[in-house]
Amino acid sequence: MVSQNVVVKNEAGLHARPASVLVKTASRFKSEFFIKMYGYSVNGKSILGVMTLAAESGAEMELVFEGEDEQEALEAVVQLFENKFKNQQL
Amino acid sequence: MKELQPKILSGRPAAQGIGIGKIWILSDENKPVHPEKINKKDVSKHLEKYSNAKVVVTEDYERVKRLPDDFDLSEIIEAQIQTLNDPEVDKQVTKKIKNELNSAEYAIFSTYNEYIQLLEAADAKWANERTIDIVAIRDELIQATKEKKRVFDVRAGEIVFAEDISPTAMVKLSHKNVGGIVMEKGGLTSHAVILSQSLGIPCVINAHWNRYNIASGNSAIIDGSTGQVILRPSRKQIDEYEKRREDEINRYEKDLEWAQKPDVTKCGSEFKLRANVEFLEELPKISTHGASGIGLLSTETILFDADDFDVADQIEFYKKVIESVTEHAITIRLFDAGGDKLIEGSEGEANPFLGWRGVRMLLDKRNLLKRQLEAIYTVAGIYPGRVKILIPMISNVEEIRIVKKYCKEVQKSLEQSGINFDKNIPIGIMVEVPGIALMAAEAAKEADFFSLGTNDLTQYTLAVDRGNERIAHLFDSYHPAVWKLINMTKTAADNAGIPVAVCGEMAAYPEAAACLMGLGIKDLSMNSSSIPRVKAMLCNHELSEMQLLSERVLMAKELIEVHELLENWRTK
Repeated sequence: MVSQNVVVKNEAGLHARPASVLVKTASRFKSEFFIKMYGYSVNGKSILGVMTLAAESGAEMELVFEGEDEQEALEAVVQLFENKFKNQQL
Repeated sequence: MKELQPKILSGRPAAQGIGIGKIWILSDENKPVHPEKINKKDVSKHLEKYSNAKVVVTEDYERVKRLPDDFDLSEIIEAQIQTLNDPEVDKQVTKKIKNELNSAEYAIFSTYNEYIQLLEAADAKWANERTIDIVAIRDELIQATKEKKRVFDVRAGEIVFAEDISPTAMVKLSHKNVGGIVMEKGGLTSHAVILSQSLGIPCVINAHWNRYNIASGNSAIIDGSTGQVILRPSRKQIDEYEKRREDEINRYEKDLEWAQKPDVTKCGSEFKLRANVEFLEELPKISTHGASGIGLLSTETILFDADDFDVADQIEFYKKVIESVTEHAITIRLFDAGGDKLIEGSEGEANPFLGWRGVRMLLDKRNLLKRQLEAIYTVAGIYPGRVKILIPMISNVEEIRIVKKYCKEVQKSLEQSGINFDKNIPIGIMVEVPGIALMAAEAAKEADFFSLGTNDLTQYTLAVDRGNERIAHLFDSYHPAVWKLINMTKTAADNAGIPVAVCGEMAAYPEAAACLMGLGIKDLSMNSSSIPRVKAMLCNHELSEMQLLSERVLMAKELIEVHELLENWRTK
């Protein structure tokens, strides 16, 4: 299991479009993926789950991956947060 | 059976034009689903129903995704497909069927509803907008389980009546050549409205048709310019509107001939008609309608569309706009969020129009302001002399000075980074608060130009909330007090030697435009579809006639007098 804390940097927060990019990226990997925030834990491959977090700019969350490609998956998703979910090749 | 009487509803005009046709109700089939228990032996049948429905609806969205898409909705549709295949939803629905023995319909209905409630409870500004799309998926799946797919069997010319229209439904409808759209809900910046405007489909929102007993197949008339919707119109009403529609089309075509003529009155006085622009989709219409550039570029859409207020994204947006007007200039209004246009943090104000909006918000969100200025100065560096900045919602002269200080700061940092910029951008202000119109002589010392926002100026001068149905009739830009403030602003600007423009809806009415010309305001900005008719009016009259009209209007003692003067002028 690997995990890392990240901060939502894009000003509009984790709304539908970024959530869609996040889910799309995470779904490329085999590992299970959970996002923990305010004591909640949601499946990071569930777009509705991610959207219900309603994470605004500045929100902090923990990304948890478990599975054979966990390290690779974590890096890819952390990168998304860093890039503010921009310019992703979908 | 007794014939039902015609019924007139009034909603909010959202896209111009007249539509006459049969009613087609979009929300017809969205009945609530009731809990229904199934037998154990039927579990596999219901699981299969669910998975088949997913395939059918997903295919439907994949098809929409492949349709020509000028409106950049592919990302929304992508999110819809992800929602359909959401692993947590799958788990929930399966559990509800398998363990709790619910019907597939009810399992889908209740699972999606749980998410919809969670999203509605989250107070992010985008969350409520998304629920429309999720409700659409829920209902489409339920229809598909009944093997009765929600078909868009609307025929050309029919008028769509809906609760609200999701972006995906709107894309489907946009290929059907419908005669008009009437919505219970909807906002002026919703996708449905934007698309209606750019496709020329008459549209009325906030019309409460649901209360009346109507059915698909009844007839209706929709007038997108006034917001009126007539249910079950009489033969006489139909004839009248058919004539009006025909006249409108004829007049429009005749006026369009004027579009390419030079901006001069019959006596040879020059004027400038420019376009108000909010969406990129409107750009192609600007030159065909004969606008001399853009007198008001609203930039709030960047706030709604972009994930961030990225400088590079903004530069790209401004470049697209300026390149569409060939050699002309554009006036960029700084973010005017607030009022009816929400930005995070401004929700829930008791008086949003008197609240945290325009320059007030910008001075609190200084990074936002600086980033916008940086983008504007950089673009102006590429197209020197063609960009102007307009500051919204100024109520104190001091605010102009502070914004100008930020302009200096941004220029300095651009200079340090070696970026080419235009340091002579004119900085003007919106005159929309009566207090600043009264102090126009002082404001003119700080501002390089004035732009009169007559809609808000009217609302603030007359203390009428134009969104409030009960008093909407009191909202009238022809009020003598409004004309007085316009004239005061013009006089102060003349004394200081700075230009004045009008960028409110008022300029779009030919007779009001003539009166403004008479006052000496020769720079008028309006929605581009109104330009041809205003141009036709101004080109066909002499300036002295317009001066006479404005002198009379300024002397009018009551609103009704102004109406008579302008009405007589228009029909003379």
